[in-house]
Amino acid sequence: MEAFMARSENDSVLRVENIRKSFGDKEILKGLSLSVKKGEVKVIIGPSGGGKSTLLQCINFLVIPDEGEVWLEGEKINHGKKRELYAYRQQVGMIFQDFNLFDHLDALENVQIALVRVKKMDKAKARERASAELRRVGLAEHASQYPAELSGGQKQRVSIARALAMDPKVMLLDEPTSALDPELIGEVHAVIKDLVANGMTMLMATHQIGFASVLADEIIFMEDGTIVEQGPPTKILLDAECARTKEFCAKITHISGDS
Amino acid sequence: MEEFVYIQHDVLPSLFQGLWISVLLIIPSASLGLAIGIVMGALRVFASRPVAMLANIYVAIFRGIPLVVQLFIWYFGLPYFGIYFSPFLSSVVAFSLCSGAYHSEYIRGALLSIKKGQMLAAEALGFTKLEMLRSIILPQALRRALPGSGNEIIYLIKYSSLAYMVTCIELTGKGKILASQSFKYTEIFLIVGVFYLVLVSLAGLLLRHMENRLSLPGFEFHRA
Repeated sequence: MEAFMARSENDSVLRVENIRKSFGDKEILKGLSLSVKKGEVKVIIGPSGGGKSTLLQCINFLVIPDEGEVWLEGEKINHGKKRELYAYRQQVGMIFQDFNLFDHLDALENVQIALVRVKKMDKAKARERASAELRRVGLAEHASQYPAELSGGQKQRVSIARALAMDPKVMLLDEPTSALDPELIGEVHAVIKDLVANGMTMLMATHQIGFASVLADEIIFMEDGTIVEQGPPTKILLDAECARTKEFCAKITHISGDS
Repeated sequence: MEEFVYIQHDVLPSLFQGLWISVLLIIPSASLGLAIGIVMGALRVFASRPVAMLANIYVAIFRGIPLVVQLFIWYFGLPYFGIYFSPFLSSVVAFSLCSGAYHSEYIRGALLSIKKGQMLAAEALGFTKLEMLRSIILPQALRRALPGSGNEIIYLIKYSSLAYMVTCIELTGKGKILASQSFKYTEIFLIVGVFYLVLVSLAGLLLRHMENRLSLPGFEFHRA
């Protein structure tokens, strides 16, 4: 029995325990725990300012949590040890709301640079891999364009290719389509769907509730730095236990009504 | 006619010698100065507080004390401590350190202008701080610092003329010697002035060329 327990604990690719973070007097994260199993997609929804971004940034220590632990494949991450931290971050892909592409590099170089500088991959090999990732997100013919020459949707796809090239074990997506014009959202959603179909493990914050309900194994409703409720999409969206969850879902579904 | 011959046979060869010394002073001072500026600028922005503080003190001192005084300290002051720098070396040291202090300010400004998101993205990919600085931040910051740093290099070309104060006889020094021998101050210093003007113009062209070559799509300047 104990062996079984340990096994199921280790099943989760990513596990976060009791994360707390305050900025000044304001407590942003009030002791959050969650875990994502291999191939699982969990979507975090909730009002802006509820701590979604901070949580995702705490998970790969872009923001150092005040308290709490992060485990990757059963290994506890000691973020104080630089080597361990850098090695860990390579395995966790991060997608930002505003893309954060490197402005001085073209699309291909954006994907290639971490392979060369971080993974110390040979340049020609890295180039090959980067082209393959750009092809995967449908941007092969835009390889030599700079971020300023790409549309928002294309930029986000480059940033997804950049993360994928590192062979991440899990991906954190922080509102990947929130900064996009409505007609560009679809192309990014298509790429994300494709990742999910290929078994990528994901933790994604989004306001696109329709999209979330199709992809997610579980939806987490988060507000004021705590998880209010979590469960399968049908339950959270249609039959939430908590009144606050119901209210939020009703509002957001009404507004977006997307697919 | 006699004057023309004097200028052609005595003044010009001597001034060209001086010009050569000036170039030999300017090139290492400009390169070293820029290198110091990059390191100091980066330390002031990214280093821990005590280290950044030290870099700030460096800038305060080397930007705050007149360059001539700094030159005198390197050349006349250090021997008190048993350290002897040649006139040429004292000049290069003084120019580099002073220039570095100014460069660091341009670089600092440029570093501060790089969007934080790109650093987050680099960190999220597993970049070390140093690697991120080298391959993501500096390539962008240096482009932005170029107009200011170029200005500093042009300034250096002109203040290299101070080297003659510590007996490093470069262009201005040669001019001064020739002028005091012949009393043709006006003619000789007009020529010296033209020499500097040519140097500065060449440097300006070179810098402009670099700016154009390094310009990035989305960041180029469009004249209205």
